[in-house]
Amino acid sequence: MNIVTKNAPHLRRPNATVVRMMRDVSIALTPLIVFAIYQHGVDALLILLAAVLSMVATEYVYYQIKDFMERKREAKSETEEKIRELNWQKKEKKKALKEKTQKAREDYEAFMKDYEQRMASLRETLKEENRAAKKSDNKSFRLANRSFTIYNFTIITSGLIYGLTLPDTIPLSKVIVGGVVGALLAKLVFGGMGQNIFNPAAFARVFVVLSFGAALSYEAFVDADAGATAMSVLNEQMFNAGVVDNYDYWMLFSGIGLPGSLGETSALLILVGGIYLAARRSFDIVVPITYIGTVFLLSLTVMFTQDLGFWFPAVHVLGGGLLFGAVFMATDPITSPVTRPGRIYFAFGLGVLTFLIRLFGNLPEGVVFAILIMNMFVPALDYAKWAKSRFTVRSVLVFSIVVVLAIVITNVGVYYVA
Amino acid sequence: MITNSRRVKDYKQLDRELPTLRHVDPDYIYINLQNARAKEYTLDVEVGDHVKLGEILGRRKGKFFEQPIYSTVSGVIEGRTNKYHSSGDEVECLIVRNDFKDTYHESITDRPDSVIEQFTQEDFVEIIKEKGLVGLGGSGFPSYIKLNTDKDIHTVVINAVECEPYLSSDYRLIKDQPEDIFRGLTYLMRAVDATRGVIAVKKTKKELVEVLEREISRFSDWNIQIATLDDFYPQGWENMTFENAVGIKVPVGTLPMEYGILGFNVSTTASVYEAVKHNLPIIKRHLTVNGDAVNFPQDIRARVGTSVRELIELSDGYTDEEKVEVIVGGPMMGESIESDDIVVTQTTTSILVLKSVDYVEEPCVRCASCVYACPVDIQPVQIMNAVKREDKESARALEADKCIECGLCAYVCTSKIHVTDYVREAMKMLR
Ligand code: SF4
Ligand code: SF4
Repeated sequence: MNIVTKNAPHLRRPNATVVRMMRDVSIALTPLIVFAIYQHGVDALLILLAAVLSMVATEYVYYQIKDFMERKREAKSETEEKIRELNWQKKEKKKALKEKTQKAREDYEAFMKDYEQRMASLRETLKEENRAAKKSDNKSFRLANRSFTIYNFTIITSGLIYGLTLPDTIPLSKVIVGGVVGALLAKLVFGGMGQNIFNPAAFARVFVVLSFGAALSYEAFVDADAGATAMSVLNEQMFNAGVVDNYDYWMLFSGIGLPGSLGETSALLILVGGIYLAARRSFDIVVPITYIGTVFLLSLTVMFTQDLGFWFPAVHVLGGGLLFGAVFMATDPITSPVTRPGRIYFAFGLGVLTFLIRLFGNLPEGVVFAILIMNMFVPALDYAKWAKSRFTVRSVLVFSIVVVLAIVITNVGVYYVA
Repeated sequence: MITNSRRVKDYKQLDRELPTLRHVDPDYIYINLQNARAKEYTLDVEVGDHVKLGEILGRRKGKFFEQPIYSTVSGVIEGRTNKYHSSGDEVECLIVRNDFKDTYHESITDRPDSVIEQFTQEDFVEIIKEKGLVGLGGSGFPSYIKLNTDKDIHTVVINAVECEPYLSSDYRLIKDQPEDIFRGLTYLMRAVDATRGVIAVKKTKKELVEVLEREISRFSDWNIQIATLDDFYPQGWENMTFENAVGIKVPVGTLPMEYGILGFNVSTTASVYEAVKHNLPIIKRHLTVNGDAVNFPQDIRARVGTSVRELIELSDGYTDEEKVEVIVGGPMMGESIESDDIVVTQTTTSILVLKSVDYVEEPCVRCASCVYACPVDIQPVQIMNAVKREDKESARALEADKCIECGLCAYVCTSKIHVTDYVREAMKMLR
């Protein structure tokens, strides 16, 4: 038995692990996956598999290459350099011999006297080193593998979320390209887990929309005959109640028979997942509440000023990817601020952006764009000089003013557009 | 896990069913001549001298105070040795061989209540100073300095929260000697002329609330209340206790006296009673021997100066772990010591023997558990990032120096990062 010393605290919370947190998200997604497969059949399964596998494979390949290059760099040892140097000296001395001076001959002889011996000993060290390197190679290989986040479910979760935001008609090749780009550009180039600024799933999704825009324009996004998503209908004829007559509230809520992306349609199952995550405290519930609350509030005020029915806020909250994005994407801890007030501002910003993009942008899906945009503001929200763990009187005042401003600007904007 | 992150698993069940073990008569007693706050000392006795219980052996000298060193046993001085102290330093100790007679020194006499009733603040301060009482919760801060305040004190708060996991020595003390605590509290209230006394305990410790409530009826002339507090960590941190027990928020960096409150630990309060009533210094104390690498965890009432090895043996020794940590104090803030050759001092609340686990760190996932947990509302994760960048400006803006080293941020960390160490580094950087 050995007595060791460590710095306090000497205990750690037993159930606080990254794998628990990320696994919980995957578990919360499971009902949605089942529902997606039930609704869309094998297509959904294939899309999800492609989304997850493309991300996992990208990460795997990336770390293998990185590991390989690292080992290469380490392999160029000092001893090798010395051997090269010694050989070079020998060559130089030999060259000098050709001039047939006394000095050169003496020099050469002096050099050659222990040349063999030195060379032999260097070779011996090199062999030793290589042997040792082989051993540590195994270790460094394991180290590289540890950064591979399949072990803590992070990459699987990203892949699943990405897959669930896709429509069921998307070709698999596009899913894969999006997955590779999302994992690589949004996560790996930033330095892997914990370092990324953008949510990889949102990034991949936006990439797919932007680069295959033609193929995925919203007419084609879902089959025109099967009906567009509730959101895209709404976007085209924004304030015309007739268009949503096709969908009753139960349909909007349960998602059964509703067209749209694989995982975004069933508000009910998303709420189930959200409640599970909240009960396990694997995310901070204020984020989805603020996000959804903001969109609801804004659409409610628009409802009053434009004299629309209650279908308007209901469709905004239940339709489209809002609930899914709020519960599963906006809560990604890595790409959100680290203080409670910061997270509330973040979620509020998401709500406003989502609503504005939906109304004034040409895209019915504001959620993923809003997430990427707000991701860029995270460092500002976390800036050491003003980020505080608690609300202060001043921050509440400023925040209230911003809320009022957002409401006013939205309504004025709507007034001019409508 | 991310939110509500101040709940800490308390590991206390083990001790509750067992009675306190009284281990007060070891063959040898080791009296520490130095401690964390006082390195200098003078000695009045020599090897071979016969000393009595409660006799002054010499004086420790700290930077701003002096305290007498008392013998906690009657016997013969055999020599000196070095032992570890609860602060982790090695200190010089006097070896006293116990003669098992417990002959009290002449100065140890009871004071009649009528005399105590006439005492002024100076009298109390004098006694407490002379008996060398210090904060027994682990701080070791001389109590008389606190008591000698010239501020207007309205409330004396007795801290019996004991929020650290594993510890149950205060719990045992309250169950074993509730009356001493109440008497000690009345003395303290009299000393500073306070109108209110509050004993703060955890809501979840129903047995304690019961015991205290039974006792309170006997002190009905005094305005004493029992405050039951929520069970979270660090509820026992003085400022947190004040806020939740009497509703007064004391900002970090200011003294509670300025807000009219004075706080004492329960064991300190009991020792105040002993000192004032019986004129005794601290002879014995309750301590917990606990942890997952000791065979038979239990609460022990031991004489100050007992060797910790002996106590661990009494608890059936170590389990066969490869690596253990021996910790004096709680698992959250206690010091882990490089050897088990430790001596029980006045401030030893517990001996923990824990399996040493090497946690594998993962990259920070910015989950903010540490931010939500921090009792002084700073942002440990951001401080860690500032330390990694060696960014002194940010560390200052993030108020790293407010940290009370409660250890919660490392405890809750999802990625098992030792965040507290980074914050400590930031504090060093700012100094
Ligand atoms: S150790 Fe310091 S920084 Fe960490 S939670 Fe405690 S007070 Fe906050
Ligand atoms: S340091 Fe640990 S607890 Fe704090 S945000 Fe990072 S992972 Fe979470």
